[in-house]
Amino acid sequence: MIELDQKIAEQLSDVGLNSSMQVRCGTSNSFTVTASILNPLINVFEMGGVYISASRGANEIIEGLESLGIPTGNIQFLDMVSSGILGGTNTEHTNISYIDSPIMLESALLRTMYHFRKKLTERNFVILDSVNALAIYNEERMLAEYLHTFVNTFRQREVLSVIINVPDQTPPGVLANLDLYCTDLIDRGQIVIN
Amino acid sequence: MESAAGYVRDRCVTGIHGLDEILRGGIPYGSTVLAAGSCGCGKTTLGLEFLVRGAENGEACAHFTATEPSVKLLDNVRQYDFFDMRMVDKGLINVFDMDVLYSWLGLTKATFDLGDIHALIKAITDIVNTIGVTRLVIDSVTTLCYKIQSEQLIRDFLFTLGKKLSTLGCTTLLISEITSEKSGVNMWSSFGVEEAISDGIIVLGDVERMGHLLRFLQVVKMRGTSHSRAKYAVELTSIGVMLTPMLKWGSSG
Repeated sequence: MIELDQKIAEQLSDVGLNSSMQVRCGTSNSFTVTASILNPLINVFEMGGVYISASRGANEIIEGLESLGIPTGNIQFLDMVSSGILGGTNTEHTNISYIDSPIMLESALLRTMYHFRKKLTERNFVILDSVNALAIYNEERMLAEYLHTFVNTFRQREVLSVIINVPDQTPPGVLANLDLYCTDLIDRGQIVIN
Repeated sequence: MESAAGYVRDRCVTGIHGLDEILRGGIPYGSTVLAAGSCGCGKTTLGLEFLVRGAENGEACAHFTATEPSVKLLDNVRQYDFFDMRMVDKGLINVFDMDVLYSWLGLTKATFDLGDIHALIKAITDIVNTIGVTRLVIDSVTTLCYKIQSEQLIRDFLFTLGKKLSTLGCTTLLISEITSEKSGVNMWSSFGVEEAISDGIIVLGDVERMGHLLRFLQVVKMRGTSHSRAKYAVELTSIGVMLTPMLKWGSSG
């Protein structure tokens, strides 16, 4: 059983809806950190939102969250992985929609806006999981431009944006821009023990 | 467009997400706008949403369909949450088959001459006048113009139609089909004359990015308003067309 990071919940209680939060994690703790963020957002603050999954299929994420007692009914998932690997879209979850490829960045933004226009909950979040996964497919300048648009779009609309990132797998130009655009930071970067 | 005297032309607010911001308030009233694009890029959806948003405000709207029967068009449009069949029942959205109009006018020939064209213009403007139509879509003007043999006649037809509709206070979208090859060389109509006569040109197309097609919309021209000329990414959703600026580093394909 994964133990959730309670300090993240404390930190989240101080952020406003128009905040953009950079979340630094490592390769092995990314799901724990993500679940530790979602748990208070859903179970304490009663928020809903959109989860953009570029690192792995939404089905797997939903099952992982549900097993930790984090309900996913108020989350719309945009899966940028499964469609591209053909056969990954066969699921019973009705709150998943698919984007053809991680290069279709604008589609992810528009589909997120679509869900917000259809009214999710009174207070909403958007989680981008993850910058390093998008960096596999997208050129550095384009990704930096996208994050700039992403952060400003949701800040303007009072939607809390949470951007998951594994720093050592992200281009330096993108990292520098994230530091510049984001208003808050949760740093759970992997600790390397020599 | 604001003149030195501060004059701002009244706008037809399209109600389409993002488009009114691109147009700095909407399409100037009475304009004839070419909505040009290759297949599958959202021209028909754009046209239908333009009418629905007008009908929501109580405006009388008309759609002349030349590419598919009206029954099929209405069947296809029911998938959208933004469309309400009661708008048709209440007479706010009026759909006309061009084929029915042709046979009603006795235009059974394969090609139209000057007299036929004038009869067609009169029929369309009579309908607009009688119903009090303020928003009109002709889908597609390309199919219609295939029946007109010379460029000069096409020019006369579009110029006269546009002028009369403008006088009636009707804002018109002329859907124009272009091949993706043509859209790449900045031609926004099949016959080359439609674009010169129109007050505005909205281009819809695809940008290829690493093997994937992304829809875009770009306002190339719009008389009477300053407007953005950037490319915008398009998503066709159940609640209508949605737009966001296309990433500058990824908009050339």
